[in-house]
Amino acid sequence: MKRFLTLTAIGALLAAPVMADTLRVGLATAQTGGLATYDSPVIDGVHIAVNEINAAGGIGGTTMIELIEKDVRSDAAQTSIAAQELVDAGVSVLVLPCDADPSLAAIGIVSSAQIPAISTCASSPTLPMIGGDYMFANFPGDNVQATVSAAWAREQGHDSTYIIYSPDSQYTTMPLYFAEVFEKSGGTVLGQDTHSIGQQDFSAIATRIASLEDQPDVIMTSAYEPDFPSMLKALRAAGVTSQIIGSDGIDSPTTFSLGDAGEGVVFTTAGHALDGNPLADFNTKFEAATGNKSETVFNAVGYDLIKVVEAAVLVTEGSTDPQKIRDAIANLEGIQGATSTITYKGTNGMPVRQVALIQVKGGEREYLGSPSPDAAMIPAPRMQ
Amino acid sequence: MITSPPKHIVASILGIVALCIGAALVASALGSASERILTVFFISLIAVVGMGVYSGNSGILSFGHLSFMGIGAYASALLTLPVQMKVATLPKLPEWLAGTETGLLTAITVAILFTSIVAFIIGLALNRLEGSAATIATLGLLIIVHGITIGWRDVTRGSQSFFGVPRDTTLWSAAIFCILALIVARLYRDSVSGLRLRAGRENAIAASAVGVHIRRERLIAWVLSAAIMALSGALMAHFLGAFSPKKFYFTDTFLLLAMLIVGGMTTVTGAITGALTITIVTEVLRRFEGGFSVAGMEVPAVFGTTQIGIGLIILFAMFRKPEGLAGLKELEERFLTGHSVKPKSKDTHVTVASADPTPLTGDNLTMRFGGLVAVNGVSIEVKPSEIVGLIGPNGSGKTTLLNMLSGVLTPTEGSVQRGDMVLTNAAPHDVANHGIARTFQNIRLFNELTVYQNVLTAALSTLDGKRAIERCEAAIVAMGVAQFAENDANTLSYGDQRRVEIARALACEPSLVFLDEPAAGMNREETDELMKTLQTLTSELGLGVLIVDHDLKLINQLCDRIIVLNEGMLIAQGTPAEIRKNPAVIEAYLGHS
Repeated sequence: MKRFLTLTAIGALLAAPVMADTLRVGLATAQTGGLATYDSPVIDGVHIAVNEINAAGGIGGTTMIELIEKDVRSDAAQTSIAAQELVDAGVSVLVLPCDADPSLAAIGIVSSAQIPAISTCASSPTLPMIGGDYMFANFPGDNVQATVSAAWAREQGHDSTYIIYSPDSQYTTMPLYFAEVFEKSGGTVLGQDTHSIGQQDFSAIATRIASLEDQPDVIMTSAYEPDFPSMLKALRAAGVTSQIIGSDGIDSPTTFSLGDAGEGVVFTTAGHALDGNPLADFNTKFEAATGNKSETVFNAVGYDLIKVVEAAVLVTEGSTDPQKIRDAIANLEGIQGATSTITYKGTNGMPVRQVALIQVKGGEREYLGSPSPDAAMIPAPRMQ
Repeated sequence: MITSPPKHIVASILGIVALCIGAALVASALGSASERILTVFFISLIAVVGMGVYSGNSGILSFGHLSFMGIGAYASALLTLPVQMKVATLPKLPEWLAGTETGLLTAITVAILFTSIVAFIIGLALNRLEGSAATIATLGLLIIVHGITIGWRDVTRGSQSFFGVPRDTTLWSAAIFCILALIVARLYRDSVSGLRLRAGRENAIAASAVGVHIRRERLIAWVLSAAIMALSGALMAHFLGAFSPKKFYFTDTFLLLAMLIVGGMTTVTGAITGALTITIVTEVLRRFEGGFSVAGMEVPAVFGTTQIGIGLIILFAMFRKPEGLAGLKELEERFLTGHSVKPKSKDTHVTVASADPTPLTGDNLTMRFGGLVAVNGVSIEVKPSEIVGLIGPNGSGKTTLLNMLSGVLTPTEGSVQRGDMVLTNAAPHDVANHGIARTFQNIRLFNELTVYQNVLTAALSTLDGKRAIERCEAAIVAMGVAQFAENDANTLSYGDQRRVEIARALACEPSLVFLDEPAAGMNREETDELMKTLQTLTSELGLGVLIVDHDLKLINQLCDRIIVLNEGMLIAQGTPAEIRKNPAVIEAYLGHS
């Protein structure tokens, strides 16, 4: 027994230098439960990136990435437990779920351990604000998406807008950002309506808009399924012909199968695959690795997440010290991911990313471009 | 007052304290991740035991208790949220609340009180429902409270994260509150109210007949369990620091209910067992689902194993242990002896609410069930010191008449009176308090309670519980069931169960007792023994007896007076000799000659 212990101790000593070249990334994300819909595709993308990097000899040819995965079952308490376990296991970077509840439940641990944490796909710009110095997001912020779509609308010569939002969640208040940018760039907001998530019946709102003396040029909403299709149909049925602008929440097959009602709808999303662009490359890699076509842009978002980590470790020259990695992430600029270039420098943790504009045309996806948002126009995050 | 032997309570409290402190010491030695797991375990256990206080003791499964956890969490969080945070995130908060910032203990106390008040108001309405209707109503409660929490955006931030709550819940504060919650739940189970409620769970009609006001006891348990849920919610809020209404909705409801049901709803031991089993299985499986290697073999990650594991335990428990892994008894009840009664140790006498010679009169009683007239215009008088037999062919309305006289049924027409006291519309538990006790045609004992507890429930629920133990023991001795005092009622033979039922009626110290087929299932010796006992009670103590039986020999020998019913009508009454000769009676029993 004693000999065994000695051998183990020697083994551990020998292993130690190797350990220094391994970056431990802890995944405390939802593989089951309600949040798995969002987290699970992101983690698939994370695996693609990690396998690719490790196959090439690690980050910079030296630092291998080791993933330690925990399922938090979409529960905040479990996330805090998993985060603590991963911190104890010595991870240098922590990946947290898409939703604010579990991420915020874990943030106390993250901050006191001084380890950077990246949310898989949270888009609320308030999350890094509340989360503090160690909390990063990995998705175009709601305010950035709204800035891009508002700028597009103004360029198209649309002068008036009407917004429909739901105060039920941060995400569904995106139209408030849109209205702010729209007004700042000289447009007029004719009015606004609120709904609740899952409301289904939008005839009252549709009638109200149809009876306006001046019809709005654009109507902006960030409602998603099942609300968005019913809202759209109600508006069209009431005779409202305004341009409809949505957000990435409606980037789903349903939106393209709505027939005449869906025709012409414009929305923002994280990226668009064009021949030879990074997203198309990623989709090829995804299919080669898994045998399936990538069905959601969240796969590529997961790939982006690891690309950010990779870039940060390159800056630290292979150091896996969490504090150094955090500082490196906070200063990253123009990192090429699968969906976009990513910049954290000058932000509070909500990355600046390009946003793709998509229009529904004949039931197909038409790419309108990926304009970079004008930083001066991006509204400040709202806490309420 | 606690109804179980003090040694049970002492053992139980020592066990709870040792378990919680021991676990906390081990976890703090193992490191901060273990501390977190155990903290969540303690908070969950508080909730499980809180659900058990109501669902276990009343027998009504509640899906709505997580709403009290939510109310407790939001109330406590709102009180402790720093003022600047409130200004930034909840600008429309009422002014008095916006300016309030209290410490953890104050906040938890206020949250518990507030939740209790809410629960009391809800309980008043919910209490009017029985069985599955009540269960479905609790489901409605969960949905409504969830809806209100989401809709009341100015105070709750709607469905968005409520964040910035001070993270004050530590392992040790969770442990101490858990000990408190477990002890409160354990004490309630064996309190007078808890015993009455459990009796009502076992048999609601019989419990009412011995004076238990079931709705009142249910309301007490409901409010107490809501208070415990609020404690759990507040601790959870201060553990997470950020939460939203979905934390207190279906997912957690089912997880916590699974713990309660797997362990056993009716005991604190069950709550602990269930929470422990599910937590341990979850923790073990969780470690494997991320992928591991065995002897050089790499097993890939299979997420979802944990949920499948929990599902399998529930299935296993329901197949093999439908009443839960811990069964229906507390651990200490299995190892320590219960209440015993020495057969003739004391100078035991069943006494009667002395000298209440007022007769009970039923006047022109009619009971219709739809088109069926079960009892038609029957007038009847029963006096103390008299044994009256009530006979008639099957379906002649005897039991219906007893049910009207004892308040189980309200007559369609006619009145029941004792002296000036009108009992026509009185609830069964009120009738029991007017010196009238009864037994049932189909034995209605509190099956999972001991013989002692069966009788004690009756003694505690009548005459304001005065001299309850004395009355209980006297009745047990008088009916000769002292040797079974510690046994569960459902383990007794049929004849003994009948005797326990009579003992339970006698413990109410009635001046009138109604016996519905007391000799059914007894052999001749047992029947003779019973007759002797009844005669003694009547002659020595002035007890009045109204007895229904098909054993005409028993009726003839025992009764001073016999009343005969046929097809809901009173066809004859008189002494046994008169009745034997009555042509109408002969016709009713034998048909036209």
